[in-house]
Amino acid sequence: MSDVAEKRSAREESAVGRSLENLKAAPRRFTETVFRSGRPHSDRTRSTFVFGNVFLHLHPVRTHRWSLRWSATWGLGIAAISCFFVLLVTGVLLMFYYKPYPDVAYLSIKDIHFVVPTGRFMRNIHRWSGNIMVVIVLLHMARVFYTAAYRSPREFNWVIGMGLLMATLGLSFTGYLLPWDQLAYWAITIGANIAQSPRELTDALGITEWFDVGGLQKLILLGAEEVGEEALIRFYLFHVMILPLILVILVTVHFWRIRKDGGLARPIDADNRLGPSSGDVYPVFTEAAQKTYSLAAVVKGKTPIVGHGPEQTIPSMPHLLIGEAAVFMLTIALSVILAIFLDAPLKELANPAVPENPAKAPWYFLGLQELVSHSAFMGGIGIPLIVLIGLGLIPYLDRETEGSGLWFGGLGGRSLVIRSAIFGLAAVVAVEAFVIRFGWIRQWWPNTPQMIITFINSGTLLTFLYATYSVWCLRKYNSTRAGALALFTCFVCGFVVLTVVGTYFRGPNWDFYWSPSQWPGH
Amino acid sequence: MKANKHLLLWSSLAALAVLLWAAVHENFFRDWRVTQREIQARLPSSQADAFTIQLKQIVSREVGATDRCVSCHVGMAPGESGIEGDRLFGRHPDVVHDPASYGCTVCHGGQGRATETADAHGTVPHWPEPMLSKEYLFAGCGGCHTHLSVSNLTQLEEGRARFEQADCLACHKLDGRGGTLRPGGAGGQEGPDLSRVGAYGFKANWYEHHIEQKKKAASGPWISAFGELSASERLATDEYLRSRVGAPGLSEAKALFHTLGCRGCHKVRGVGGDDGPDLTAVGNKDPGQVSFAQVEGERTLANWFKKHFRSPATVVHGSAMPELGLTEQQIDQLTFYVLSLRHRIYPEALWPKDRIRAERFGMREFATDGATLYGTFCAACHGAKGEGMRYPGFTPFPAIGNPDFLRLVSDDFLREQIKRGRPGRRMPAWGQQEGGLRDEEIGRLVAYVRNLGGAAYEGDPKPRRWVQGDAAEGERLFAKACGVCHGERGEGREGPQLNNRVFLDLAADTYLFKTIRNGRKGTSMAGFGGGSSVRGAMTDAEISSIVAFLRTWEGKK
Amino acid sequence: MTTDAKPTQTSRSRLDPEAMPRRDFLGLTAWWSAAATLLFGFLGAMRLPKAAVLPSPSKKFRITLPASLAPGQPYLPAGRSVALYKEESQVYAISLVCTHLGCIVKATDSGFDCPCHGSKFAKDGSVLKGPAPKALPWREVKHLSGDNFFVDEGKSVPAGTTAGV
Repeated sequence: MSDVAEKRSAREESAVGRSLENLKAAPRRFTETVFRSGRPHSDRTRSTFVFGNVFLHLHPVRTHRWSLRWSATWGLGIAAISCFFVLLVTGVLLMFYYKPYPDVAYLSIKDIHFVVPTGRFMRNIHRWSGNIMVVIVLLHMARVFYTAAYRSPREFNWVIGMGLLMATLGLSFTGYLLPWDQLAYWAITIGANIAQSPRELTDALGITEWFDVGGLQKLILLGAEEVGEEALIRFYLFHVMILPLILVILVTVHFWRIRKDGGLARPIDADNRLGPSSGDVYPVFTEAAQKTYSLAAVVKGKTPIVGHGPEQTIPSMPHLLIGEAAVFMLTIALSVILAIFLDAPLKELANPAVPENPAKAPWYFLGLQELVSHSAFMGGIGIPLIVLIGLGLIPYLDRETEGSGLWFGGLGGRSLVIRSAIFGLAAVVAVEAFVIRFGWIRQWWPNTPQMIITFINSGTLLTFLYATYSVWCLRKYNSTRAGALALFTCFVCGFVVLTVVGTYFRGPNWDFYWSPSQWPGH
Repeated sequence: MKANKHLLLWSSLAALAVLLWAAVHENFFRDWRVTQREIQARLPSSQADAFTIQLKQIVSREVGATDRCVSCHVGMAPGESGIEGDRLFGRHPDVVHDPASYGCTVCHGGQGRATETADAHGTVPHWPEPMLSKEYLFAGCGGCHTHLSVSNLTQLEEGRARFEQADCLACHKLDGRGGTLRPGGAGGQEGPDLSRVGAYGFKANWYEHHIEQKKKAASGPWISAFGELSASERLATDEYLRSRVGAPGLSEAKALFHTLGCRGCHKVRGVGGDDGPDLTAVGNKDPGQVSFAQVEGERTLANWFKKHFRSPATVVHGSAMPELGLTEQQIDQLTFYVLSLRHRIYPEALWPKDRIRAERFGMREFATDGATLYGTFCAACHGAKGEGMRYPGFTPFPAIGNPDFLRLVSDDFLREQIKRGRPGRRMPAWGQQEGGLRDEEIGRLVAYVRNLGGAAYEGDPKPRRWVQGDAAEGERLFAKACGVCHGERGEGREGPQLNNRVFLDLAADTYLFKTIRNGRKGTSMAGFGGGSSVRGAMTDAEISSIVAFLRTWEGKK
Repeated sequence: MTTDAKPTQTSRSRLDPEAMPRRDFLGLTAWWSAAATLLFGFLGAMRLPKAAVLPSPSKKFRITLPASLAPGQPYLPAGRSVALYKEESQVYAISLVCTHLGCIVKATDSGFDCPCHGSKFAKDGSVLKGPAPKALPWREVKHLSGDNFFVDEGKSVPAGTTAGV
């Protein structure tokens, strides 16, 4: 009897004791379960750490020295995602006070500006990092193009990247309306009418009545005939919900593909080009090289080189991470410095009765607006569509291998890029100067049918010039890459010049002025 | 690696420095914080302890205002006293519209939501409604109030003269003058403050009541101050009292507007001519939307208006408004008045009485006697006494007070003429649909115009159309004698347009015949019946031919 | 890109844990300054949701009591949750917000009834019944002139405090 009781009490005691012991050990265990591989002291534990951490495991555990050079990427991809992160945080904060309803929206922005603690700063950061993100995404695309990093097996990731560009521009554009001031209202009115511009073509063909794709696009965008409360709530939905979601999904795929496509593109002879390694690179396999990929059976492609380790790689932690952190903080620093010195614009309350003159779209669309001033369809839909299709096709047309991973790699190289840039600039400046000085067909023969102007205007002329030039280059070098280099460079020049003209040299009624100080008074 | 570490370090530190500066600025150097600290330092210590530095605001659900002006003007927040006696940081003077329930911007303008000085005062780009300066403060009333029944300035001045001659100020206060505060002190007596008597209304028999009191009294101001008034003096005094609505100077400014005939060309709330822009909300003009290229001084709307009144075409390129040759005082008053044309749009439930009366019951915001109507709508073109006007670049405006003219036209002619206007000419149609004047108002105008010339209609025994003549002969004569002034096709040059549809319809043959034969004294139109040194006389038959020729235009145009 | 110099250990196996690297001041400072910046930024941003001013109208207001207001009869200013009483030239105000969970109580002949959870209050605001933990607070009233009073809904005064006319 007493024996049994004793046993039971001992058991209870030990259970209680064990629980207490466990409780004491809980903090240590907690740490251990959070950081499963222990403190990342050595390269090995660091590798395990990177591998086992949900936020870090998008990185490889070791990174090639080629990819860590600044000139390989200029950190543009990380800078873009850093901007997005900053935008996400500031955007969510702004949502605490923003009210998506006409007039009230404007007042809530005024409140954010004047009384919300840190509100003005947050809005400024949001505005400026939004702009920075657009710039960086464009630069990132140019980097990938000029280093020929879109080639096999990265073709699809290039296409994803284009989707990201669209999502970024869409986010920036939808955010433009939200303050509901004159700037926003008229920029979006113009944007929405560009969406409607296929009507120009369907009207000219006389088929608008039963095939009104332009009208449909505008209706879906605005939910009404004019920019109003329906448009505002739609833009808000796109801005805070749909587009960020799309962007996050695309970014995830984009990152995942980088890993799956074998990291960043680098030339085949990267190891040689890098030269002898400095001290911190040492052979990973000092013993008999082993086959490392147990999943090799399901991995397509070339068999990993046996007998060789990833010799030119260094641990991602800390080498890659500190680079990423540096770019991240640099982006933040840039955003906050801009935000403290420059207030985000906020004009008068939107007034549908008083158009802004000039009414300008966001700056990255001003190149298009310059084209739109001749033909809404060609400038707003036609040429952008041609450019997008062209961009999307680049990796599938250029299947050469020479120069992958190198700046201005491929046939033609840097000298071709320089010559294309000169041609591209000369062509766009000449066309613009001609149009500004002498006008265009409509000014000479007012009765010209719209169809002719739709297809013959400064935008199509420029596109034609660029295309001809790049085909000439393609034939001369007998290389698709050379053609692509020429075309891309030309379009970049065209985009930059048209954007600059639209931003700085266009005044009321979209007339040319050397400076805003010459604009006529009202 | 090392470069990256440096980059990480220095960009982090740069960002940190900016964030620290932002935090310091936000917590110590915002305009309102600095102001409140200064106020706290000036307060007596008992109040200074209770004074907390925080954003303050007036939220008015009634007028939909969120005004943070009281974050700096702390004394004007409800229940606060601020610095005693300080104009900016003390209590708001007692006014009809308690700032606690109306907020600040509804009267003063400015940007209520702002908390930085320049933004709040609205003197920044992209804020369309800057604060009204002190001198034009009462222009703010115009946002909601319409001020009923303001007469022309002559009458108003007459009323003011009566009011002061009768020494009403001995007992009554008016805009801070008079009452017991009368200089010298002797005999002062507390009567009701009349500053806003026009808004409250007053008894029609106030005069009889005063006379009774005077009879009962033995001494004091009843005897010394109050004197008898004639019927016309009483009317003028009544008019003056009705215009006392608590906005000193504004009624006078409006009366001037009703004297110069501005509404002959400009509509205000649907009544007026349409040659010039509608002025209903001109006081709300966005200073950011007008050109200050030709305007000296500060870029305020008031300065813009002043320059505009001096020389309209300099400020607004291509403006058809003539230079009116106004005095500086008149310019100042007109500026005051147009600034008050603010016409806010807000729910009807909040409308003040005067606005409901004006916009729902159709009461006029101008006095509807003939003189005021003439001053309001006609004087700019036809002259204060009907003498006609000439402005550079305009065809002369006819002298409708001319006795020779008035003798020939019936009241019906005048009435129809005013109603229908002269299509295609500067004379607009004044009927209810077009110019917004009612029949009885036009009737009073006709009577007033008739009095201007002092000539009664001599009557016309003949039928309206009796002239028989040779139109071809008339055409020849017309080209020779009339075309120079009236235009070869009667289109009007120096002289009035004769091929005007309404004119030919209204003018009887007798009118045309006699005007040609006798002319109009005091105008360029000489009588053709008697000859002169430079031209021979026309026979009646010749005049008839001309009339017959004029009639050929009827129905053509 | 250059990397930090480390002792070359060519003989090291990938299975050997490496020795701790030397203290890396630059790296640590860089990481910690980044962390400090982010933390400071985060703390600053966390101030944003707490509004500096509230969108509600001022709790202080002026009121003109009707001359016909009978003693013991509540006067309820529109849009305010306070009841004013006038007793023999003394005026006082009692809050109508139930001290339990903030419903607006109804003034009855016997006092105040809360419609939400059945609390009952006496005429002076003290709790008679129900879950309300505290009496209805009295509010500050000041006499201005004639029938004009100033009420501060935001300021409690001890029960029984009145303002003389």
